[in-house]
Amino acid sequence: MRSPAPRAVPEARRTPIARREARTAYLFLAPALVFFAVFFYTPIADILNTSTLTGPHADRFDGLGNYADAFRDPAARNSFKVTLLFAVGTTVGAIVLGLALALLANRQLRGRTLFRLALLVPYLTSIAVIGLLWQNILDPQTGILNRVLDELGLPTQQWLITHPLATIVAVTLWMISGYTMMLFLAGLQGIPQVYYEAATVDGAGPWRRFFSITLPLLAPTTLFVSVMAVISGLQAFGQAYIITGGGPAKQTDLYVYHVYETAFRDRDFGYSSALSVLLMLVIVAFTVVQLRAGRRGEVQY
Amino acid sequence: MASRVAAYVMLTLACLLTVIPLLYMVSLSLQTQGETLSGGAVLWPDSPQFQNYAQLFEQAPFGRFIVNSVVVAGAITLAHLAFDPLVGYVFAKFRFPFRNTLLVAILATLMIPFFVRMIPLYVMFSDLGWLDSYQALVLPFLMDGFGIFLMRQFIQPIPDDLIHAARVDGAGEFTIYWRIILPQTKPALAVLGLFTFVFQWNEFLWPLVATSDETMRTIPVGLTRFSEEHFQLWHLTAAGSVIAFVPTAVLLVLSQRYFVRGITLTGLK
Repeated sequence: MRSPAPRAVPEARRTPIARREARTAYLFLAPALVFFAVFFYTPIADILNTSTLTGPHADRFDGLGNYADAFRDPAARNSFKVTLLFAVGTTVGAIVLGLALALLANRQLRGRTLFRLALLVPYLTSIAVIGLLWQNILDPQTGILNRVLDELGLPTQQWLITHPLATIVAVTLWMISGYTMMLFLAGLQGIPQVYYEAATVDGAGPWRRFFSITLPLLAPTTLFVSVMAVISGLQAFGQAYIITGGGPAKQTDLYVYHVYETAFRDRDFGYSSALSVLLMLVIVAFTVVQLRAGRRGEVQY
Repeated sequence: MASRVAAYVMLTLACLLTVIPLLYMVSLSLQTQGETLSGGAVLWPDSPQFQNYAQLFEQAPFGRFIVNSVVVAGAITLAHLAFDPLVGYVFAKFRFPFRNTLLVAILATLMIPFFVRMIPLYVMFSDLGWLDSYQALVLPFLMDGFGIFLMRQFIQPIPDDLIHAARVDGAGEFTIYWRIILPQTKPALAVLGLFTFVFQWNEFLWPLVATSDETMRTIPVGLTRFSEEHFQLWHLTAAGSVIAFVPTAVLLVLSQRYFVRGITLTGLK
């Protein structure tokens, strides 16, 4: 990402060629600059502004009142807690499952492209399709999961009532583990084979090789996958909107779903804007941590 | 050897766990309403009800949903293919004032999750009277920092001499881009187009927010709303889900290698 800074050329010494180059550059860039100004920077300015307004038409200035409310509001706090649990659960799960699958798939196997693509399918499927499908599978009366468990002699469950959050974490893991597998596979392929050969010569067993070579050298990938998974976990929406409706008793009231309801059901644009900004700050903080660590952690082989 | 067999067994198991729910979705779409609602849950219907698919189109403007999804995902994909390489090229090869500032400003948008733009965009389009329109569905996604970054990385290694030589020969700037740069970016463009299309085809939150008129819904939103309104028509919801899933499946089969190669690139997102 770092590129050499353009040499600072005094205006008088800029050649006609350089000026022509700059003109062409701006001509080609014009649509993009307009786009990012109108559809990214204007909305960000708008939401910061709206987050300081209150009242049914979001037209009364209230300073940081909405933010103060957010920290006191039990519903917002509950939603943040639920979302954090969801993000941690999906991240830990996606790392464990993704790494395990990657270790299994990282060898010369017949049909390995087929394995990889099959595992990747849910990640490329709309959350609407996945949410509706699992809602049906998990249905306590008509769902197939309980029937299968019953026939296997296993206890049946009212999944979405007794363990709603764990259940949508599991559905999300079903959706994304194939994707984290692909990221770990790319990481594994970056580890030079000679290390393993040297370790084997020195008498290191498979576990020793995993903990002393694979895991440390995979650290940048693991960091990347964790940050990516936390960030997308914090933004999950469809799981709550489609599968659980945020319930029962707000146990799956994912944050973006909470924002959506506050904005478009309760029509409280000021407060929902402040809630959005708060989550954005959390996400930006995670991204900055990743950029910092990524720069330091570039592994030298 | 034993570990090889174990790897096969475990991977096969994982693939089955992944694929079986999707096959069950196909099964649901071919069951009678009675079968889907029976307490016993039917694995595979006795006689597949292909007419469910026809019925879906009678019960909801599903044809309209398909058209909307094709138009929206298609237009956004074309815009990415048109703009991302051009902008990436400028940042890779041109020197001009504020170059780094502008690049940082564009890449910084990668940190902005969509939900942050959701409320202000809703208000903006609402003020314009553009809710329930293709403009509203398409405009917010015309470009993104990721596609531009990807294309810039891809174009940077192309030798400058090629560009200089063309300039000396008197080629216009756009001709240089169109004839010399763009043809060399084909593999990156394929990945970019493929992933843009699939992710936009699946997009859920914005079309949900930006449409209230049934005829402007995309497939994911139309399907979800359909199931809310007709919660006992599971066989039809499943049929719609299969239709929503088909383009992804076809693209996946047709361009396996691009998906395998491209998915790690999308990780940069």
